[in-house]
Amino acid sequence: MSSPRRVPQERRGRTDLRLQLASACAAALLAFAVSGGAAAFTVTIPAGVLTGTLYLQIGVGNGGTFQGGNLATNATQNTETATVPASALGNGTAQAMTTNSSVTTSAYNGRTFCTVPGQLYIGAYYQVPVVALGWSSTASVRATVPAALSDASGDTISFSRISWTSSGIGDSGAEVFPAGTFAAGTTQAVGTLSQNQWGESCWAFSYANTTVPRAGTYSGIVLYTLSDP
Amino acid sequence: MNASYLAGVACGCLLAAAVCAPAAYAGTTVIDDSGSLPYNAPLTLHWLPPLRGAGQATVIGTTSVRVHLNVTPWLHRSGRIYLMLPAQQPGALTASWSTQGRLLAGRLTSGSRTLVYSGPISTAFIEDVLQLTLNIDARQLQQLYPINFQFQMEQ
Repeated sequence: MSSPRRVPQERRGRTDLRLQLASACAAALLAFAVSGGAAAFTVTIPAGVLTGTLYLQIGVGNGGTFQGGNLATNATQNTETATVPASALGNGTAQAMTTNSSVTTSAYNGRTFCTVPGQLYIGAYYQVPVVALGWSSTASVRATVPAALSDASGDTISFSRISWTSSGIGDSGAEVFPAGTFAAGTTQAVGTLSQNQWGESCWAFSYANTTVPRAGTYSGIVLYTLSDP
Repeated sequence: MNASYLAGVACGCLLAAAVCAPAAYAGTTVIDDSGSLPYNAPLTLHWLPPLRGAGQATVIGTTSVRVHLNVTPWLHRSGRIYLMLPAQQPGALTASWSTQGRLLAGRLTSGSRTLVYSGPISTAFIEDVLQLTLNIDARQLQQLYPINFQFQMEQ
């Protein structure tokens, strides 16, 4: 009687031992799976959620600044004017032009940057998310320049007689919107921005005064556009 | 036969232990943080302000992660815990984070790790809330990217 009981107990003991070993082994493998495994938190960079912004200000803006967070649209069209005395007509001495813009401060941070009436402020920035999705890594400001300024009688002066220098209080090195001369009857680039760059300059325009046009008031409109690319 | 079977199982275990040992005890082990929430957190993206005079195509991604580290295997021992950012798509990243104090705040770049805890492991779980910030090159944002982090235990 006692022997048959003892054998099953031994077998049961062996069985338990096997299970224990198997269990220990499984635990070891489980521990390995955890310790060497892929448990790690993940964050996701979403796609297509960022919006792009292009901002251009020539002359007067709304008075806000980028850093102030209050830039807005302003439709004001500023003028540049030169009055050439009869005694100086066509003598080759460039005539400085003046602006009716009152902007002397940077639209980036509000610091004093230009002087008026001798300089016209230009500021712009370009902020787009994904070059590969059709945006460019750069944006250009372009001037659409008529062939000529004209008076009421239909007399003309070529826009190529007007040039500008570029500077800014506190600036050093090359200006983002450099000096240039209008290319009459074309659309010309007047500056390039890289991605997420703020560019600004102060332009001082002048009339070349190398010809003797008929007396009159000559005017023309140059349209500036910031576009990608 | 039983003895042979047991020997085989034991051998298998020893073999498993031998195979496991280098990964588990060579010094660094990935910690199970599957209890962290949210486990696949979306970043909130916004631009760094444009720089005057020079471009910088940097986007900032932020999120908050409640970290839940299962450190049961190292209970009643001492260890050092690192946060690692493996090198991965979309390219070079910089991560920084603040904490509520259980873990250390820090900063790291892709392919590196930073110490976030050093000392005795006295509880089975270590929890903290990470305010995570990633600096991302906007030019890389072509598609959705999961960014994997690892907590590593080193003893």
